[in-house]
Amino acid sequence: MVDFKESPALYLIAGAVILFVLAQSLFFLVKAWQHGKELGIDKKKLKNAVTSSALFTVPSALSVLATVIALAPALGLVIPWVRLSVIGNLMYETTAAEAAMEAFGHQGGIAVPVTDPEVYAGVAWVMTLGICFSLVVLPFLAKPLNKKFLSAGKKEAEEAKADAENTAPADTKKKRNLGDFINKFATPAIFIGLIGAFIARAIIGAGKPETFGDGAGVLSIITLVVAVAVSILLEIFAKKLKLTWLEPFVMPIGMIIAMIAAIIFFNILPEDIAMLEWRG
Amino acid sequence: MKKNANKTYFDRVHSWGRISTISALCVLLMFPIAVTLYLDVSPSVTAILQGLLKLIPTYWTVAVVEVIVYTPMLGAGGTYLSFVTGNIANLKLPCAINAMEGAKVKANSEEGEVISTISIATSAIVTTIVLAIGIIAFAPFLTTFTNSALLKPAFAQVLPALFGALGAGYFIKHWRISFFPIIIMIIVLIFAPTMGASTLLFVGIVASVGGALFMYKKGLLDKVA
Repeated sequence: MVDFKESPALYLIAGAVILFVLAQSLFFLVKAWQHGKELGIDKKKLKNAVTSSALFTVPSALSVLATVIALAPALGLVIPWVRLSVIGNLMYETTAAEAAMEAFGHQGGIAVPVTDPEVYAGVAWVMTLGICFSLVVLPFLAKPLNKKFLSAGKKEAEEAKADAENTAPADTKKKRNLGDFINKFATPAIFIGLIGAFIARAIIGAGKPETFGDGAGVLSIITLVVAVAVSILLEIFAKKLKLTWLEPFVMPIGMIIAMIAAIIFFNILPEDIAMLEWRG
Repeated sequence: MKKNANKTYFDRVHSWGRISTISALCVLLMFPIAVTLYLDVSPSVTAILQGLLKLIPTYWTVAVVEVIVYTPMLGAGGTYLSFVTGNIANLKLPCAINAMEGAKVKANSEEGEVISTISIATSAIVTTIVLAIGIIAFAPFLTTFTNSALLKPAFAQVLPALFGALGAGYFIKHWRISFFPIIIMIIVLIFAPTMGASTLLFVGIVASVGGALFMYKKGLLDKVA
């Protein structure tokens, strides 16, 4: 029997959403290009921006593809495809999928395929409504924020000019306020909290006793340690040898090597050790 | 004269941006509607709300913070495009910064605006194409992959692999603020081992932001800043 999650109609629905995103990007690309020419920016500079951005994107796009494929055993390809093409983000989508499945009583999280169309549709609703809020606030906030920044840019340029003329020593005392904190640390702190939840679960979280792969155990620790170690080593390696091209590949390589390690250790360790999940 | 031209271009970008963002929101909401109608099901509204309740406190707060933090860095056109296509911190923002550095333009200049929009639009198009090709190529083999006994342990451990690799970059750069939230979450899990990731991450984010703010106030993060 054909899996309902892989029906051509669902692919067509997804295709329509994705075509919209593509059209929007093309529209902005053409308009910015035309305006760049109006401003007299060298065509070579504009072309370079396209080439360098395309090259910069490919490895990260592959890691996005890896997330789609990682979610596919549970959800099929269509939901992860749409969710990661529109607003989607590696971290948010996996988390949202887990939350949605939990709410629908789907046991085992993303390690177990969704077979009930009702749960499938429910997951689509939760993931979409959970993530869409930035598009609600953006039309109200973007313009005033952008204007403020542009005027700050002008002020900055004037101050730099004044500084160049005036050689008085700069104020060395650091400004410490909430705005500065939000600017520098809010996003990494939020991301670390989010990532940390999955890491803590891989170390000591419990799953369903009858399901393998949803609770912390020997294999989850091995996979986690390999993923972190390989990624850190590659990152250091890329920085030391100044291999900037390698940096965007670090995450997908780390993830794939960790998954390969899971397969290897599952096969070489005695079964009762490989399948040991300390809290079920 | 130039000032007028400036104003017109930015105003036009914001008009296009607002229209396309609202359209994208409508198209996005059509997706679950179409799926529900096509599958002819009526998923439980209570379960949907339960799922959303776990996400909204963090996701909607993060959405507002992200708009405030990223908009100045991405430029006008880049902001609208980035928020519709996603993957901002791990892709769109570094991509735009890279392009602006390459072109030697400043983010808060009109040239920066053009280069950043071109960069983000290109990045969005490339991501969409890579995903589409990957999915079309992968779709015929999906069942083979997911049913493969050999690959089963790899897919079972996809979360530690994904978040370990993703976290490594943050841990190196922000190791000072990483320990506290992870230790707190481990303690929480010792007492509530079955707590789902979506509830736990709320604890994690509160601990992480609270811990970071405390360290920032004490001046412990000055070296990083």
